Amino acid sequence: MNCKDFESTIHELVSRRDADKTKQLEALEHAGQCLRCALRLDEESKLTERLQAFASTLQGQRAPVRVEEDLLRAFRERAVRSSAPLLGVSGKRLWRGLRWGLAFAATLATAWIVVFLWPHLHRGSRNLTPRLNNSQPAAVSKTSEAKQVPQARWAEQAAPAETANEVTTDFISLGTCDDSQCMEEATLVRVALPAEALLAFGLEAGNDYSPEGSVQADVALGNNGVPFAIRFVNYSGGNNEN
Amino acid sequence: MAGLTELQDEQLLRMMQVGDEDAFTTLYRRRQGGIYRFVLEMSGSPALAEDVTQEVFMALIRDSRGYDPARGSLAAYLLGMARHHALRFLKRDQTYVSITQTEEGPRNWGKAASASREDPHSVMSRRETVQSVRQAILSLPEHYREAVVLCDLNEMSYEDTASVLGCSVGTVRSRLHRGRAMLIQKLTGGVKVAAGHEAIDPNRCLA
Repeated sequence: MNCKDFESTIHELVSRRDADKTKQLEALEHAGQCLRCALRLDEESKLTERLQAFASTLQGQRAPVRVEEDLLRAFRERAVRSSAPLLGVSGKRLWRGLRWGLAFAATLATAWIVVFLWPHLHRGSRNLTPRLNNSQPAAVSKTSEAKQVPQARWAEQAAPAETANEVTTDFISLGTCDDSQCMEEATLVRVALPAEALLAFGLEAGNDYSPEGSVQADVALGNNGVPFAIRFVNYSGGNNEN
Repeated sequence: MAGLTELQDEQLLRMMQVGDEDAFTTLYRRRQGGIYRFVLEMSGSPALAEDVTQEVFMALIRDSRGYDPARGSLAAYLLGMARHHALRFLKRDQTYVSITQTEEGPRNWGKAASASREDPHSVMSRRETVQSVRQAILSLPEHYREAVVLCDLNEMSYEDTASVLGCSVGTVRSRLHRGRAMLIQKLTGGVKVAAGHEAIDPNRCLA
């Protein structure tokens, strides 16, 4: 071992740290032969003794009791706070979930009202309003009682296209179906017909209807597409303004 | 509480994290002395040592998840935090460390020697030694001082010291060697070797 190696192991030697025993023996052997390294070992040993003496005076030093008391107080407060926020967070999460859930439920309810309840409510309000079917004696004479029943259904089916102040005649059978069953399954279609069609059904065209003019009518179609009844809309007995 | 004292630091920490007050108390009582002494030795100020000890454990209470067992022991982690706080305080208030520290020093320093039944001469001699060593340590640059304090005064291994200081074992050895050399110079003014020999330069062999 040379002086450089000795210097690198001297701290382990004087502090009695776990080190390579062979190296330590070699270092001691070197110190026995090298005066400078022997003096280095001596001064390092003395320093270690001084440091140990100094350290021993601090051995019993500890933080005052009040530090532990303060920390325990803080620990307890922290434990309380950490449990409180937990409830708070879960409450917030619960409310957040409920909020979205409520919003979703409200949307569903609104949609349900619009889709299902609104027509019923609308129908109810329409039922309260007086029906403006202005039955013409001439036309009524051509419709039977059995054909009056489906009329209400047709009126319902035509409701989107029908306005509150619309005046219609009774349905006039076209003679293609006298069965009330086929009339219940009828589809109502609004069409525009030449004004002279009024004459074909025995209705007065009047001076307000020019030959080139048109008149609106609801045609009841069966499942096979065959029309079997018709009523005229906004027919005012020859004073219809179309 | 008796059973808790046999548990490892990491086990106590886990129990503490779920609100076990006894586990915290056990951990605190086990580790606070080392932290307090480390800061006291680094700063010479019992007030700072008290503040830092409290701050370290407060930080542990607030958030103990910063500790990574893979990076070292919990003791090293706590000492690392203490070092961080102490250096921050020392940089903020340089008056804590001064060679012209009052001779009285911290109130309890040297108490052990005074309390013994040695003859007054020995007591005085030891007190002088303690005071001179204390002043010499406090006069060291921080890098060397913390290496000496951890390795020599607290007898920590190089590995644990490296973990506390956040550096390599080689750096610890180097700083310790340099710090001790500076202490020898401060305490003895350099050793005069036998007649015909020049004063020893502690770094001579490593140069």
